[in-house]
Amino acid sequence: MSIDEIKKELYNNVLSGDFELTKELAEKAISEGIDPLEAINSYLIPAIELVGEKFGKREYFLPDLMRSANAMKSALNIFENEIHKSGVERKSLGKIVIGTVKGDIHEIGKSIVAALLSAKGFDVTDLGIDVDSDAFINNIIEKNANILAMSALLPITMPYQGVVIEELKKRGLREKVRVMVGGAPVTQEHADKIGADGYADNAVDAVKLAEKLMAK
Amino acid sequence: MPIRGLKGGMLKFLSEDDLKAIHIATVEILSEIGVKMEYEPALEIFKDFGAKVDFKNKVVKIGEDLLRKGLASAPSTFTLYGKTEDTDIKVDPQRVYTIGGSSALNVFDLDGEYRPAVFDDLIKFTILLNQMENLHIMHAIVIPSDIEEYGVDRLLFAGTFPYTTRNYYSQSQTGADGVIEQLKMAAVFQGSEDAVRKNPMFTEVVCMVSPLKHEKVNSEVIIECAKNNIPVYVEVDAMPGGTTPAPIAGCLVEQNANVLAGIVLAQLVKPGTPCIYSIASGLMDMTSGGYSGAAPETNLLHCCTAQVAHFYNLPFQGGTGIDAKISDAQAGYERAMQVLSNALAGTNFVHLSFGMMEMMMLASYEQVVIDNEIMGATYRMLKGVEVNDFALSVDLLRKTGHGGHFLNYKETSEYVRKNNWIPKLTNRDPWNTWQMMGSKSMNELAREEAARILKENTEPVISREQTEEILKMAKSYHKQAQERLKKQEGK
Repeated sequence: MSIDEIKKELYNNVLSGDFELTKELAEKAISEGIDPLEAINSYLIPAIELVGEKFGKREYFLPDLMRSANAMKSALNIFENEIHKSGVERKSLGKIVIGTVKGDIHEIGKSIVAALLSAKGFDVTDLGIDVDSDAFINNIIEKNANILAMSALLPITMPYQGVVIEELKKRGLREKVRVMVGGAPVTQEHADKIGADGYADNAVDAVKLAEKLMAK
Repeated sequence: MPIRGLKGGMLKFLSEDDLKAIHIATVEILSEIGVKMEYEPALEIFKDFGAKVDFKNKVVKIGEDLLRKGLASAPSTFTLYGKTEDTDIKVDPQRVYTIGGSSALNVFDLDGEYRPAVFDDLIKFTILLNQMENLHIMHAIVIPSDIEEYGVDRLLFAGTFPYTTRNYYSQSQTGADGVIEQLKMAAVFQGSEDAVRKNPMFTEVVCMVSPLKHEKVNSEVIIECAKNNIPVYVEVDAMPGGTTPAPIAGCLVEQNANVLAGIVLAQLVKPGTPCIYSIASGLMDMTSGGYSGAAPETNLLHCCTAQVAHFYNLPFQGGTGIDAKISDAQAGYERAMQVLSNALAGTNFVHLSFGMMEMMMLASYEQVVIDNEIMGATYRMLKGVEVNDFALSVDLLRKTGHGGHFLNYKETSEYVRKNNWIPKLTNRDPWNTWQMMGSKSMNELAREEAARILKENTEPVISREQTEEILKMAKSYHKQAQERLKKQEGK
């Protein structure tokens, strides 16, 4: 496989979401001496952006989106390791701590958002489900996170997003971290009411929101 | 006289062979993969009955023997009690009943406003629903935004139970304590806790997690219900493609393993505990990840699940909310397809079939009245066609001969009175007459009807004193639950 073919195939396999093949291609790219930064910026990112666009147009469905995000992530890991070895750090878009709030065990929506955020180049710590305010806050401190992202699918667990924000305030951390919230029953009004910095209706918009919050 | 519902089950998508294949796959999953149960006493119960239990990972593997034993004692017929004899219902795997909406956050009110639900909405909705002749079981249709959420089920009880003659479909958010406190509240009306245990006028639901997981609160409630003879809707809310495999058959297998594990638990605690095989599953919309209660795939899934539940001779709860936001053409087609297909498939409890919209987030007053109308038409379909000498009417045809008409006959009058459905909101006038009558849409008529009913009905169906007493207890239980929660969080 020529260098050009590898590059083209990297792009194509992120598009088609074959993560095992993408991983192999990334390894091959390294051994062929392809510049990892170029691979990320010129092939992986344009591919994942096209995936997002296709999802928006309903040409791609959720499983396609997830598979592409995973393919992207598998290649990204390999290239980033390589960049790291050369002593340079690829600038992370930002550090995000994400989880579904306490009392709520709904995982899928949160995982989709986490996958897309890391595919985009955020450094994501996924705390899983049923996460209490201590766990959120300890991880924010430990990872020095820029963004806290909280999901809730149940009307009865939604207010807990506000509880965490109050706890951030109590500990003097509210100014340090931007808070974004989501989940089926969550609305902009709810986000405003509890004092979150942003709300997104779906995973693609959540990534845009995270970028916007980082630019602030 | 108790109600004996019409029989469904004429619509079948699965063959006997399909059902056997689903059963065999379920046995493989239950015996080799098992179900995760977070509640240790549930694991102990299964272990006592010889199941393979992995205490470290909290997984129960249920072999075919134990599955058979558990299912053998699950009753296929029982009574759900209302507050009057004519609201008792005779449950079996053939008859079709309805259940109102549940747990919406927002309401579409009679002023045409979309807003968060408050406690007063819960009472008003219950009063309205209680006047719907096609409704058999009452849920708490909204979760009021003016109540702290933890332990809210106690106040849902106080806002619903006193205002309905129907059996009340309850939930306990906090576990066994909720079941016991609700039993005490029911005793205010029923006279004693033992009277409640004998003829419980409420039931509980547990909602398990797909794939293959029972939360602590699920098992706690199942066990407490079994101990107290409270019937339980053992429910799973799957999203095919998301929380279960995407093919309907794969979803049926996951649902089946998950629900049967819950039913077996109830039977092991107390053989004969009335259990209703229940789902509120909905298609995952792959363009958004959202839940769709009204997708044709969801309807197919529910119809097929009815067949799976009936394969075990268990009564089945299916059907769920619709996706439309207002009572428009989408609402009409979604609700009609949903309730008709479920009724024909023999779904014994057509769930959330009144007023529930916007993927279970919205309760609409006018839609309640519209859904009652759609359900009336659906029941007429279920009634089906009689073929006997009277109905074949050969003598009448002979008598009338060629030309002429049948309006003069007593037989015609008797037949239509007995069989035809007379709509209340559906308009069958020609354009001019309809215009003369104010050219009202069905929504406007439904809104007027709802307003009329709420003007004429304001009182609970039990005494004011009992209603107040239950509310007082609920407030106190809710406060205690809140305090326990704070203590827990303070730790």
